[in-house]
Formats: sequence, C-alpha cells, structure tokens
Amino acid sequence: MHTQSAKLKTHPAEIATLLRGETGTISAWSECWSAQRFALHVSVIVLGAGLYGAGMGWWRDPQQALYVAIKFPLIILLTMTGNALINGMFAPLLGLNIPFRQSFSAILMSFTVAAAILGAFSPLIAFMVWNAPPMSPQAVSGATYSLIKLANVAVIAFAGTTGNVRLFQTLARLGGSKAVAFRVLVAWLAGNLFLGSQLSWILRPFIGSPNLPVEFFRATALHGNFYENVFHSLMQILTSD
Amino acid sequence: MNEQNPAPPQIPPRIPSVATPGGIVQLGDDPAERAAIPNVVAAIDAILRHPRRVMFQLRQPDAGKLIAMMLLVSVVCSLIYGVVVGTFSGGDQLWAAPAKIALGLIISALICLPSLYIFTCLSGSQARLVEVCGLLAGLLMLMTILLIGFAPVAWIFSQSTESLAWMGTLHLIFWFIATIFGLRFLETGFSHSNARSHAGFHTWVVIFLLVAVQMTTALRPIIGKADTFLPKEKQFFVSHWGDCLKATDKDLKSKLRE
Repeated sequence: MHTQSAKLKTHPAEIATLLRGETGTISAWSECWSAQRFALHVSVIVLGAGLYGAGMGWWRDPQQALYVAIKFPLIILLTMTGNALINGMFAPLLGLNIPFRQSFSAILMSFTVAAAILGAFSPLIAFMVWNAPPMSPQAVSGATYSLIKLANVAVIAFAGTTGNVRLFQTLARLGGSKAVAFRVLVAWLAGNLFLGSQLSWILRPFIGSPNLPVEFFRATALHGNFYENVFHSLMQILTSD
Repeated sequence: MNEQNPAPPQIPPRIPSVATPGGIVQLGDDPAERAAIPNVVAAIDAILRHPRRVMFQLRQPDAGKLIAMMLLVSVVCSLIYGVVVGTFSGGDQLWAAPAKIALGLIISALICLPSLYIFTCLSGSQARLVEVCGLLAGLLMLMTILLIGFAPVAWIFSQSTESLAWMGTLHLIFWFIATIFGLRFLETGFSHSNARSHAGFHTWVVIFLLVAVQMTTALRPIIGKADTFLPKEKQFFVSHWGDCLKATDKDLKSKLRE
C-alpha cells in the first residue's frame, strides 16, 4: 500500500520513469488522475518543446525563436485537446475499455516523453544554428539549410517515434493485448497526424525564410489547408511537361 | 566439558561473486572498490587503475564532491594541454588556446549532457542524473589526463614544424585516442546501470564526437593566429577542414615552385 502510494506521488524525477517505459508505474498513473501530475506533464511539454522551438527559429531571427518557442508547444497541446474526445471514443470501440480520462492521460504522457527528448536536444540544435552561416537566400538554397532541416526532421521523428513506442507499451499493458494496443495506437496516430499537420500549416513559419518577414502567422495562414497544398503540389508534378 | 573441548571455529563459507545475467560483476563486490576517494590524486589514480572504484563512488550519496574534483582536474589538465597547443603560434595564443580548449570541453559536455541523460533513461538504465553527470565528468578527466600524457610529444612536434595542418591533425589524433579511452570508461559505467540496450549510448557517442569536433571550428583558431578571439565567419567543421587542406596544398605547391 505504501509502495503504491509512493509510486503515485508526483515528483519531477518521474519523467525518468516515463522515459524508461516502466509500464507498471505508468499504468498506475494513468488510472488515477492527479492535477499535480497533469501540471507537471504540461510544464514539460511547454518547456521542452518551447526550448526546441526556440533553437529552430533562432537561425532566422531571435524574434522568430520567441514565436516558435510559443508555437511548438501550442501545436502539441492543441492537437492533444482537439483530438481528446475522438481518441477517448476510439479506445473502447477498438477493444481497449478505458475511461476517457485514462486515454487522455496516456496520450499526454506520450507527448511528455517526446517533449522531454526535444528539450534535451535543444542545446544541440541551438549549437548547430549558432555555427551555421547567417540565413540568407544563398544559405537557404545551399547545403546548410538542408542540413538544418534534416537535423530537425531527424530529432522530431526520433522524439515522436519514442513517444509512440512508450504509448504502445502502456496500451499493451492496459489492454493486455498487443493487437488491441496496435489498433488503438494507429487510430490515435492517424487522428493526431491529421490535425497536427493542419495546425502546423496554420502556425507556420518555423525555420523561416530570409525573403519573408518575421511574423507569428503568415498572412495566408487560414487560406487553404495543408492537404490542399499537398494535392496542388502533386498535381503540379504530375501535369508538368 | 564443553569449555575444555570447544568446537572448532567455523570457516566462513565462500561468498560467490554476484554476477548479473550478462556476466557483469556488480560494483562494490571487491572491497577495494568501496574505498573512498578523498582527494584529487586519489581520483586520478582511481580513474587510471581502478575505474570501477570511481563508478561505485558515483553511486554514493556524497558523489558531488568527487564530481567537482574530476571537473577541476579536467579544467586544469585542459589548461595545461592548451598552453602546449599555444606554443605553436606563441603570443596571444599562449592564453587563448588554453582558455578555448577548457571552455570548449566544458561547453561540449554541457550541450551533450541532457541528451546523454535522455538516452540513458530510454535504454532502461536506473542511473540518476548525478551519476550520469559523474560519468561524464569521469570521461572528461580521463581524456584530459591522457592529453597531458601526450603533451611532451605534442610540444616537440610544435617546435619542429611550421605546418598548421600537420599540427592540427596531430592534436586531433591525440584527442581522438584520449576520447576513445574516456568513452570506454563511460560505457563501462553505463553497462552497470541495468541498461537494456547500448544503441542509444552509441548514438550519443556520435553526437558527442560531432559536437566536440564542431567546437574546435567554432572556437578557431586554437592552433594558428588570428586578429580576433573568435572567428568572424561561421562555418561547419567539414568546410573549415576543406579550406585548411586547400590552403596547405597551395603552400606546398608554392614551396615546390621555389
């Protein structure tokens, strides 16, 4: 009993437990709601993703760094809350009979893992940007821009994948079946990717462009959507002679 | 009667050494590993001869003192090696090179520490942040002690050549050898923390090497001379090394023409 209550006590060091993927403890956390733990996880998301965003935007301008430091955690939090309802419904429909609050808690923890990884990589991204030549039209068309872009993609992909692997392990523990856990994870991932992509489109730019002003939103933020743009790009490639 | 014929003293049974499934003997099994590390000299001796003693002490509650000692040794040793590096150009480089090497080393470690901790946790290791800091400080200390060992050789070469590229390569080779030993210490410490996989650690090693190499470019010139303390132009190490090699090639060709 004492061990159980000690496990459920909130402490900043519990982020290490999340990273290690100690599913027994994580499942216990997801079962009993704690406002303190919720605040801790949201703080890690704001801080981790914010620091990473700052490193990402810094190449263009310090003001861009500030904007991206706000936008990056915002995307995560908005994606999570925007999909909370449908994700909570998908879980029992796909065989994982957990309450809405528990599914929200599990997703929050997976984003916390991703944000903690992003935060840990933020000094590395900042160091890379500090070493890069200033952003100019030449730099954007050269290898430096590609390197920065690829490094960001690699880090974000690693953080996202790790967060989802940990989520899968938790779901498998909660549902007692890997097949059920996989179904639920795929459904949640599809929803989160769908909304997350559009939110990223609205909240662009992130790295920025030397030819465009530093701004929080582009003037065309709400003109069209991510998928329309992808469709237009595909059509251009297919119809060009 | 019993007092007249006492039972022979019992021989304590041999305690088998505890080994993990992976065959790793637990830290502290050997009593010598449990001996405290009271001062800097003992810390240097321990990391060279009994690295497991350092690893064991890093798990104790008062590990902070040992970490501080190891960092102090790292800074002092890197300053000494820096003076040797600075003798190639002389002048301002005699203070600039040590400052840059010590600063670069500490900043590289600070930049890489969060990702090392994250990779440690992701691999399932139970190591606390203090222990990870300690292992990283151990890496720095072992690396810089070895650099001090190479210092006389580096000094002799720096006095007998004028080639910047040659000296740069030599210092890089020494640094690389020292780093391999430092990383070996770190990996051994990592193995004792119940880590399920070393993949994350190996990824971190690549990151650490890239950061350290880039730091030499970010803080250039360390060996040669310049008008400013830090470079005016930002460059990645690959393009900087390319420029250096081109300049050396040009010099060689002009010398051959003469």
